Amino acid sequence: MSAPRVFVAVLVIAGLGLFLAGCSVVQKGADILTSQGKMSQKDRDAIVKTSEAVRSTFSDISEEEEYFIGRSVAAMILSKYPAYKNDNLTQYINLVGSAVAVYSDRPEIYAGWHFLVLDTEDVNALAAPGGMIFITKGLLRRCRDEESLGLILAHEVGHVCAKHGLQSIKKSRLVDAFRLIGQQAAQRYSPENLAQLTNIFENVLGDIAEQLIERGYDRKYEYEADRLAVKFGAKTGFDPSGIMRFLQTMVGDSSSASGKGWFKTHPTPEDRIASLEKEMASLGSLPKIEAVRTERFKQYANSLK
Amino acid sequence: MRKPRSYAALLTTLLVLAVMLAAETLVVKIQTTQLRKGPQYFSQALAALKAGDRLEKVSEAGGWIQVKTSGGVVGWIHGSAVQATKLNLLAMGKSMKTQATASEVALAGKGFNKQVEDSYKAKHADMNFAGVDQMLQLKTVPARVEDFLRKGKLGEFRGAK
Repeated sequence: MSAPRVFVAVLVIAGLGLFLAGCSVVQKGADILTSQGKMSQKDRDAIVKTSEAVRSTFSDISEEEEYFIGRSVAAMILSKYPAYKNDNLTQYINLVGSAVAVYSDRPEIYAGWHFLVLDTEDVNALAAPGGMIFITKGLLRRCRDEESLGLILAHEVGHVCAKHGLQSIKKSRLVDAFRLIGQQAAQRYSPENLAQLTNIFENVLGDIAEQLIERGYDRKYEYEADRLAVKFGAKTGFDPSGIMRFLQTMVGDSSSASGKGWFKTHPTPEDRIASLEKEMASLGSLPKIEAVRTERFKQYANSLK
Repeated sequence: MRKPRSYAALLTTLLVLAVMLAAETLVVKIQTTQLRKGPQYFSQALAALKAGDRLEKVSEAGGWIQVKTSGGVVGWIHGSAVQATKLNLLAMGKSMKTQATASEVALAGKGFNKQVEDSYKAKHADMNFAGVDQMLQLKTVPARVEDFLRKGKLGEFRGAK
């Protein structure tokens, strides 16, 4: 076989590879051909590039972009509610939250999982994209044990794992953003592109804040987060009925009429309890509550001022 | 008669095919993580990894991927820490020259990045970014989480006396 024919054969195989395998494999093959001088760098780049998908949906938002979106959402939340200053309690919340995150579908996240108590008597918990999670003092007061806290944090971890925040971004904004980002070859944005991208970024944050803080996620996302809470919580070893013990404190609560926080942004506690009961029944044997955990929870909960 | 050089070229072709079908390159997509000895979160750390590091996939088990680093160290990493670039034939030819792919953006640190955040921050002085930075300063290291699980009879320590 002559050398040019071998080259053609290699190209055919590379083409087949495109159909058979993922892009990184194609990239690997192209890299080898380039290093052997059988393919120019330009052709290598073209092959690698055409084998990848262009960005089109929320799932194409990179891990780093999710982190930067999450930081700004968290900054919004923290300008509305101050952080509760209690180092011991903050560390404890981070341990409980990190424990369920380890047993979630996303133990590894861009800058790690972070949890914070908000200094307000409103009953609420919020998750910013990228793994920044907030729970209010008002909600903590309604928890009687570590299982309830663990399951509530697992519900928020579930929102992040399923990318519910990113899913609330309007598709047209992503199309605009991806087009603008793709056009820019340089590492840093030109002033004009930066101004446009900042406007899109503001709108992206607005979309998320509207769902997360103002209106609440679609009901189906809340039920999905409940299902994930049971899954992650039980895998961690928490008794998943902890979330029902909390929800029962919300049934018929007079403050629900105020339309604040939790009440405005979540389905009714009765509906959630009914759906959770079904979910737990389908799982069979579940972990049991342990006194050692309830004891340590009480120790920290007693430090709430 | 075939020249030895042709055999060498044929062998190269076969080698390329073998590598293409066998090896898959993954890229670390989170800021920092560790290569672990076994496919468990609390397994011993073998090497420090950071965003952009390239790893070669060896095998896979229950959400964990066995990989080899460029330095030749073999260990495990969770699937949520790495990115495998996707193939989408339908997207081929569609505005390819004007759009970046997800992996390009991730590797170049483009997209919504620090520069965009700074620009947003300059317009919204009322947003509490200092509070966010403070929140992110607290790092909960795996060893502390493991100790917390042990004391609370959680995770691998369920049912322990």
